[in-house]
Amino acid sequence: MIAEAYGPSGHEHIIREVIRDEIKSLADEVRVDALGNLIAHRKAVGATPRKKVMLAAHMDEIGVMVTHIDEKGFLRFASLGGVFANTLVGHRCRFENGIIGAFGQEKKNSSRTETQLDKMFIDIGARDGKNSPINVGDAAGFWREFTDLGDRMIAKTMDDRIGCAVLIETLRQLKKSPHEIFAVFTVQEEVGVRGATTSAFGVQPDVAIAIDVTDTGDTPESNTMAVALGKGPAIKVKDSGMLAHRGVKTALITAAQENKIPYQLEVLTGGSTDAMAMQVSREGVPAGVVSIPTRYVHTPSEMVDFDDAQNAVKLLVAFLGKPIKLD
Amino acid sequence: MSAKDFLQKLSEATGISGYEHSVRELMVEAFRPYTDEISVTPAGNVIAIKRGTRDPKSKTPAPKVLIEGHMDEIGLMVTDIERGLLRFTQVGGFDVRVLLAQEVIVHGKQPLRGIIGSRPPHVLTDAEREKVIPMPDLFVDVGVPEDKVRDLVSIGDPITLARQMISLKGNLVAGKAFDDRCALVSVVEALKHLATLKHSWDVYAVANVQEEVGLYGAMTSTFKINPDVAIALDVSHADQPNSTEVNAVPLGDGMGLAMGPNIHPLVHKKLIEVANANEIPFKVTAYAGATGTNAWAMQVVQAGIPTGLIDIPLRYMHTSVETLNLNDLERIGRLMALFCAALDEKFFKELRGDQIESEKENPKKGREGGRRRKKAKR
Repeated sequence: MIAEAYGPSGHEHIIREVIRDEIKSLADEVRVDALGNLIAHRKAVGATPRKKVMLAAHMDEIGVMVTHIDEKGFLRFASLGGVFANTLVGHRCRFENGIIGAFGQEKKNSSRTETQLDKMFIDIGARDGKNSPINVGDAAGFWREFTDLGDRMIAKTMDDRIGCAVLIETLRQLKKSPHEIFAVFTVQEEVGVRGATTSAFGVQPDVAIAIDVTDTGDTPESNTMAVALGKGPAIKVKDSGMLAHRGVKTALITAAQENKIPYQLEVLTGGSTDAMAMQVSREGVPAGVVSIPTRYVHTPSEMVDFDDAQNAVKLLVAFLGKPIKLD
Repeated sequence: MSAKDFLQKLSEATGISGYEHSVRELMVEAFRPYTDEISVTPAGNVIAIKRGTRDPKSKTPAPKVLIEGHMDEIGLMVTDIERGLLRFTQVGGFDVRVLLAQEVIVHGKQPLRGIIGSRPPHVLTDAEREKVIPMPDLFVDVGVPEDKVRDLVSIGDPITLARQMISLKGNLVAGKAFDDRCALVSVVEALKHLATLKHSWDVYAVANVQEEVGLYGAMTSTFKINPDVAIALDVSHADQPNSTEVNAVPLGDGMGLAMGPNIHPLVHKKLIEVANANEIPFKVTAYAGATGTNAWAMQVVQAGIPTGLIDIPLRYMHTSVETLNLNDLERIGRLMALFCAALDEKFFKELRGDQIESEKENPKKGREGGRRRKKAKR
């Protein structure tokens, strides 16, 4: 359900309510900050020393925003987040009011091999541009239904609704923790980790973990990357925006090893996560990432392995259940 | 320890961005004899404080000046293991042209010596021979068979260049990671000089992490300190054949005192005043935008920090044979000490002058401003 919900960057109000319903019984306090981040606070159980741990999964999805409506009713658009033009042809998008449009491209100015966003448009089936049900500034997400393939699943928004699902399930399975936990469902990750920037400033955590997707190197003729679907959640070492804190990385590895949870180590050469913003908040926060290996990231058909998601939950529950040592 | 010996120690220590722990230990040790308090932030930055000689009866705390250099060096990181050989990516921006045939250390379960190899010239096409070999076509060979490599090396293990510092003629030295550990030598030199000077401001000597990957260390340590003036010390391109003359500072003839939107004009003016008064040679360097140094990050921390930047002349940046003149480092240390000692109440007021003026003109706004300042101060 959370995979199909509407929520392009800056327009997270619908997905936020869906998640709020899921978590309100799982936290001591749930609030929404000025930017729209959904913050669930769980108090620590037991004696000190406790740490304030912030967990972040982003609610927003990549999408498009209407910039111009022509007299025939075709919509020109800009991207919200990293949209690859070649993944749009033949696909559909859906606006907040439920209207669905097809992506088309200028035949004269496009080829089958090369596609550019500014040579594309959205066709909502309008006869003309008068009284368009869509306004300039309206945002749409991709529109594809969630598909269960058995071991693996496809959805338009695994990035990062799978992270949201893992975080919700972690709150559910984590019966008690010696740490004070702030589970934050952030906004605007895809346009520059903006929700995590402000929520981390507000929460002021001692340790921060982002839960997000990562690329894989396990498809035909893929780039070199030692991450594959089904081999466990990936513990991040580096991506193009940050280096995971050495102590946090080691603590996550130890939690996986002690509980016999399969894991992979991740060096991602393109892309980053909310952890990038959290680690430089205020005086600096030791930060790491638990990644869900995902094929076809930033396309309308992102694929993850169900076991990887479940093992990510186990890993987080194990990590949060014990004192965290950062050496 | 002499500046040269200390530079050698720092240069040969290993610590890519995010993995600065061995350099951090050296810095804590180096700061200790000359400072009153030392702490390490959650991000791993070292902050050492040398308290000023402010009148103890003074009700306001002493102003703070921050001088910094960064501890991290650019390096490589294992991305995959293929038939016993290691694929890698880079941390920070190497000069990829010179990676082939370097000797390296892979920081696995134990440090492993290795070399960077690629396909030999004999099997390349003419077109391939003309090109710089892209990083995905390079690999590290540690000489261990595939089954053993996986026991010793993990994805994400750091790799550093293996290079010992060498002395050239004329007080020049060459080695790796002078960017920016040579600045830390100057910071320590400044503290040594300061021991013989009287200074009323508190001096914060900072060794930052993670400059090469986004100025992250400086952002956070500066937030914690919230100084009144911050000076970044970082390397810049020295004059050499085929270099552009813009901003190139001659090796062994002082330093660059940077100017531009990243630099507070009064801080710049003060640096020049102190240099001139003490006959320390310098050249003004101009940066129209981002300086690519920690000064850029520090300037916009908290409510804004008046920032200065010292350019340390260096040849062959981001290679394993970065070259500099030791005289420059000592001179920069001396200038920093004299600058810190020259900071007085008058300069503090001058820096704050605009705010005081606006309070006079608009008392209501001024009161609000005053309250904000007090809160931001401590």
